Amino acid sequence: MVYSFTTNPRFEWSVVGEYFFSTRVLRGLLLTLELTVISMAIGVALGVLLAVMRLSHNPLVSGASWFYIWLFRGTPVLVQILFWFNITALYPEIGIGSWSFNANNLITPFIAAILALGLNEGAYMAEIVRAGILSVDEGQSEAGAALGMSRLQVMRRVVLPQAMRVIVPPTGNEAISMLKTTSLVSVIAVTDLLYSVQLIYAANYRTIPLLLVASIWYLMVTTLLSIGQFYIERHFGRSANRQTPATPLQQLRTWAARWRAAA
Amino acid sequence: MSGAVMVKAEGVHKRFGALEVLKGVSLNVQRGEVVCLLGASGSGKSTFLRCINHLEKIDSGRLWVDGELVGYRQVGDRLHELREHEVCRHRAEVGMVFQRFNLFGHMTALQNIIEAPIQVRRVPKAQAVTRARELLARVGLADRGDAYPNQLSGGQQQRIAIARALAMGPKLMLFDEPTSALDPELVGEVLDVMKSLARDGMTMVVVTHEMGFAREVADRVVMMHQGRIIESAPPEEFFGAPQHERTQQFLSKIL
Repeated sequence: MVYSFTTNPRFEWSVVGEYFFSTRVLRGLLLTLELTVISMAIGVALGVLLAVMRLSHNPLVSGASWFYIWLFRGTPVLVQILFWFNITALYPEIGIGSWSFNANNLITPFIAAILALGLNEGAYMAEIVRAGILSVDEGQSEAGAALGMSRLQVMRRVVLPQAMRVIVPPTGNEAISMLKTTSLVSVIAVTDLLYSVQLIYAANYRTIPLLLVASIWYLMVTTLLSIGQFYIERHFGRSANRQTPATPLQQLRTWAARWRAAA
Repeated sequence: MSGAVMVKAEGVHKRFGALEVLKGVSLNVQRGEVVCLLGASGSGKSTFLRCINHLEKIDSGRLWVDGELVGYRQVGDRLHELREHEVCRHRAEVGMVFQRFNLFGHMTALQNIIEAPIQVRRVPKAQAVTRARELLARVGLADRGDAYPNQLSGGQQQRIAIARALAMGPKLMLFDEPTSALDPELVGEVLDVMKSLARDGMTMVVVTHEMGFAREVADRVVMMHQGRIIESAPPEEFFGAPQHERTQQFLSKIL
């Protein structure tokens, strides 16, 4: 396979090299990163809110959260993207009080993409955060309550920080998955990484090498995210593990020391 | 209103679904008194203790701490449930120590102690830390302030938990089987801290199986059986000449 990768001329590696750092590709990459970061931020914030709501004793509040999750997990994200893109057909004017906007100006394709990805992500993050909250021993909330802390204080200061250990690993997966899901926005002509290369190969027909350009960039960012995830997990595992796992650099040093001692 | 009575319970009932756990518990605890609650598991002693700071809601009866109804406000004949911040205010005045310590796992010993004073009482951090160091010294752990709970032995964790409760300056301390989860050789260090608290005049209600502690420290020993108090007497009397048949059986099994 490696042989075919390197020798099959139809991969056109020279074209890959030519476009890898081109302005249009880099701009697309930047937009993909923006979409990922903003949508994940919305998703995480919304997820925490929905999870806390879901665990509320008030049936109206937990019901609202249940409905939200049911709706957004039950429909394909691609459909949601198209929905937000076409929201102007539903509501030509969007107003808050006396403020009113023309929806076409407000909901640009970029905003539609962020709304769709972020609101969808919120439903998934809610389940992840909820699992994290439930993983924290009930004695922790009881101890907080017995000290006179309010439910909100207990949640914010005691439960959520300890839930992070359970929340972080799947959230890392969500971030990586989000990075790739953003490519769906190419259908509403947002010039993300994928749509940028599509625009290029639509003009020059070098489809395969340009898809390779996009794939390699996705792979590189995914790798970076995984490394970041390792360090964040290590940070939140601090109090649970007596010994924090060594970083790859530390492991390398240990090996080197052992090898030197053996030699 | 602060009289001589710290805890006053009148006909307290509590049920979990079909199971009636407390069937009318009445008890007075005087200011400065140490009361030990004994009884087989399932007798309702822990549940009663948790009712005192409203961790469990009572179904009927009345419960006062320092003259204030716990968890409710009486208007005429009706009881109205208190708002959350009012319940919190009550709880802040009552310290509680749990069987399984329940130290906040993501915080060091010192952070555990200063958390509630800062968050609930709005004490400035420097002041809270000074007070926490005093309390750490008091429970004999002056040098372990920076340790996380999982780096401490059970006995050390429980002493930190006591310091954490004391940091709020409680007028009443509740202990829910504070030594039951400890290795036998660690029980003594926790009991020593509790004894010194009792000597300083702290009002304490202690659910325990430590007969030695009850005999030595308690002003009164109370026996619970199937959701009721069946015997209440000073320790010499309680252990020397138990009146109730169930108490005699219980003591013969344990001693």
